[in-house]
Amino acid sequence: MNLSKILLVEDDPDIQKVVRMSLKLRGIKDITVVENGEECLAVVGQVQPDVILLDVMMPKMDGYETCRRLKANPDTRGYPIIFLTAKAQQFEIKRGIQEGAIGYLTKPFDPMTLHEQIVAMLKQNAEKKP
Amino acid sequence: MEVLERQVLDSTPCGVLAVDREARILFINRSLAKAFGLDPPEWIGRPAADLTAIIQSRFECPENFALCSGLDPDDRRALSAFLEFRQRNGEQVLHVREDTRPLRSSNGAIRGRIYVYTDMAREKEIDRMKSEFIAIASHELRTPMTSIKGSVDLILSGYAGDISTDTQELLEIAQKNCDRLIRLINDILDLAKIEAGQVRLNLERLDLTEAVQRSIQGVQALADQNEIELVLERPAELPLVEVDKDRIEQVVTNLLSNAIKFSPPRGQVRVALEVVDGWVQCCVQDQGSGIAEDQLQRVFGKFQQLGNSARKGGTGLGLAISQALINEHRGRIWVESKLNQGTKFVFRLPACADIPSPS
Repeated sequence: MNLSKILLVEDDPDIQKVVRMSLKLRGIKDITVVENGEECLAVVGQVQPDVILLDVMMPKMDGYETCRRLKANPDTRGYPIIFLTAKAQQFEIKRGIQEGAIGYLTKPFDPMTLHEQIVAMLKQNAEKKP
Repeated sequence: MEVLERQVLDSTPCGVLAVDREARILFINRSLAKAFGLDPPEWIGRPAADLTAIIQSRFECPENFALCSGLDPDDRRALSAFLEFRQRNGEQVLHVREDTRPLRSSNGAIRGRIYVYTDMAREKEIDRMKSEFIAIASHELRTPMTSIKGSVDLILSGYAGDISTDTQELLEIAQKNCDRLIRLINDILDLAKIEAGQVRLNLERLDLTEAVQRSIQGVQALADQNEIELVLERPAELPLVEVDKDRIEQVVTNLLSNAIKFSPPRGQVRVALEVVDGWVQCCVQDQGSGIAEDQLQRVFGKFQQLGNSARKGGTGLGLAISQALINEHRGRIWVESKLNQGTKFVFRLPACADIPSPS
């Protein structure tokens, strides 16, 4: 399971730092951070991340719309997406998965196990593929 | 009908309809007639089916619309239902509560049925606002908590370098209370959702023993830490119950955690499952100091921390949530306790054989 390059789409600067530090603790240094869905769509092809961590409530373009657009584009539909969001109600989680994400992590997350949770979701997703 | 009685009924904002045993209209008040552009006197003696035909021509009627279903004239039940009528060629949606009960003569004989229709548009709007508030509150509270918890956890992990023992102790206090605040936010939002009727139960038929065993596994570490023995007593066979597995586990886990927290070290917490009069009953009993009689009424209230439960990490909402969830399952929950004689929390759920079919 290769996890070395992450694209974080998050508008809150404090959470950006916490995620960055939490992943750095596990040896991941290549983390690109953008602040909304539009920026994510603009850079994803260039970054080619192993996983996209996607917030939902963001200015300009929210996470659900971003996910839908990434999945609708043949060039970007292969990037695994994990929502990382404060929207924690059951119907919101269901919606995130329906939009095509491989996983859904709710805030507040545990920075000490964030890396493990991402890896577990990526592994589970890889096992599902034929 | 007396003039005054008619005036009273015509002045009420609710729609009122009375039918005889053959479902012919005995009375229709002005509010109901006005809603459908009808002239009340012309409708006396006509079949109620003519009225429902008009309603059906304009709106898609819900299945639980009692006036439409042709209730047996001897049906003694008082029924109440929330109905949603969708306009056939438009976007209008009516939210209405229908209350119906037998119409009795002065000698008590059933002479027909009375139907009362209340406009629920305002209540529906309040529900929508409450949902919006829950969604916003959830996001706005969780986001800063993420930064606080994340930062504290990272410092404690040594990410930012070595810290002194005092700093570590202070940060552990911050971390512990941060976790408590997160539990509190989750519980407040959970209870608000249940009370707003926004929790959809994923009902399935199961043996309650399975849910109880999973809850026991979940709290085993807490029990070990407090040196408490967990004992499960159950009959060889238990009728199935129709429940949301996760939600019932949440209730049992809550009762078990409380029982463990309030038990003396090396004590025992017993969980007993049994069948009582068509109900499946679960009883969680501890050997704690018990609850005074004058406090028993309060235990299911919100933020009712009995004794030193706040210091034991409780949010004060666990039992309120448990009660709301058991009510959602059409069950009952109560407490029995005496000072210095332990406490027993009991809930009952209808056994599957006793669940009436949807028809």
